[in-house]
Amino acid sequence: MHIPDGFIPFWQCAIYYIILIIGLYFASKWARENLDEKRIPLLAVLAAGIFAIMSMNMPIPFGTSGHMVGGALVAIIFCAPEAAILVFTVVLLIQALVFGDGGITALGANVLNMAIIGGCTGLYTFKALKGKLGIYASAGIGAWLATVVAALACAIEMAIAGTFPLTVGIASMVTYHIFIGIIEAVLTVIVLMALDKFRPDLLIWNKNRIEGGE
Amino acid sequence: MADITKALNLDELASKDSPIHRLDGRIKLISTVFIIVIAAFSNNIFIPIILEIFLLIIIKIAKLSYIDSFKRIALLLPFGGAIIIFQPFIHPGNILWSYSWIKITDTGLNWAILLITRMIVSLTSIVILSSTSPMQQIVASFRRLKMPKDLAMILSIMVRFLFVFIDELAAIRKSQKSRNFHIHSKLTPYKWRIKQVGYSIAMMFVKSYEQGERVYKSMISRGFSDKSDLFNEKTSLEKSDYIYISTIIILVIILQIIIIKYSNQLGYFGENLSIN
Repeated sequence: MHIPDGFIPFWQCAIYYIILIIGLYFASKWARENLDEKRIPLLAVLAAGIFAIMSMNMPIPFGTSGHMVGGALVAIIFCAPEAAILVFTVVLLIQALVFGDGGITALGANVLNMAIIGGCTGLYTFKALKGKLGIYASAGIGAWLATVVAALACAIEMAIAGTFPLTVGIASMVTYHIFIGIIEAVLTVIVLMALDKFRPDLLIWNKNRIEGGE
Repeated sequence: MADITKALNLDELASKDSPIHRLDGRIKLISTVFIIVIAAFSNNIFIPIILEIFLLIIIKIAKLSYIDSFKRIALLLPFGGAIIIFQPFIHPGNILWSYSWIKITDTGLNWAILLITRMIVSLTSIVILSSTSPMQQIVASFRRLKMPKDLAMILSIMVRFLFVFIDELAAIRKSQKSRNFHIHSKLTPYKWRIKQVGYSIAMMFVKSYEQGERVYKSMISRGFSDKSDLFNEKTSLEKSDYIYISTIIILVIILQIIIIKYSNQLGYFGENLSIN
């Protein structure tokens, strides 16, 4: 889902960069208000962890392997899409500059898809369904939807750029991610379950419960 | 996704010595982004091809191996390549070749050629940047170029810890491998395999979070606060830095003039192949 350089025309790249800058403004405001002074080292080391997680292969049937995106996961853990924006901006910047994964001119579009759209879709689906379906089912659906919607956004951006017609884009990219999304969803749920077991204090939704109990 | 365990070899490569390695990090960063912007938004293949030739000369000056550099570029092509490969078939235009419902059009083919040249130039400059400047140098260059403080600090600390996690990841992989774990192994149920991957991701997450807390505590005990700033070593630009950046700028200006004035004499190379 990493859009490379040269696929999106100049003015569209500029628009995505403006969205990125606005997103970063709100993200650093959020970090200042919610994460106290611990935020910088914590987010930084977490970003390094996410970087490693993103390069871990996950098993996909038919012998191929993909990697986890994790935008929804970060947003759900922090209960804020802003966390995903901060983490993914630095991760994607280094991926683009050092590993050549995703373009530097397309950085705005890539952050928009994976962190802003993916993070928001994941988190708000999770929040909306939490009451009815329980935490894990809603987190799974959130993560699945985040992957599919992010792929859809990627297909739409390519179509606006004129690089790939929308119908073909949706047929290939979105269909592929409908399947990949299932694995992303399962992994997101397993990670959340494991976190709830080992370090429940890390999950923001537990915070009120723990603080209330103490 | 690029395998991050390769980052170790990259940094080793980047610590070698050559006239390009010795250039200031800021100059290398700016010139890389500049070349990518020019190539990625060019409408003809003339400019990307000349830039690619220039980059090949830089690879020679930087004493990098052509084979290794091309291998890295080839590894990065898949996602973009998959999109490019469809281009000749999906755009309306004059039909060059057809077989039942499959047809190749000139517009589509030209567009595919333009996209691939743009992409190769961008990837070549990224390969040159990452094999001639250690990651810390790239990050320090961002700081000196006045990146917002919060972001710059997150970036610096992240790059530092990336290597810790690369080791961590390698250790997890090694121990899984020594127990015959394989993500595509048919001997174990699929559900179990995916659970194991999930657990290792969760472990990475917990480990990174706990490491983050430890780092924070050790930084606090060394006087870190909200108002702290990172120390930037002051280095002045050398003559070679000015020569390098001005060569690139002059080259691009000359290329633009050639395209504006003589595009009709360049034939296919000067044609506008873009469809957007």
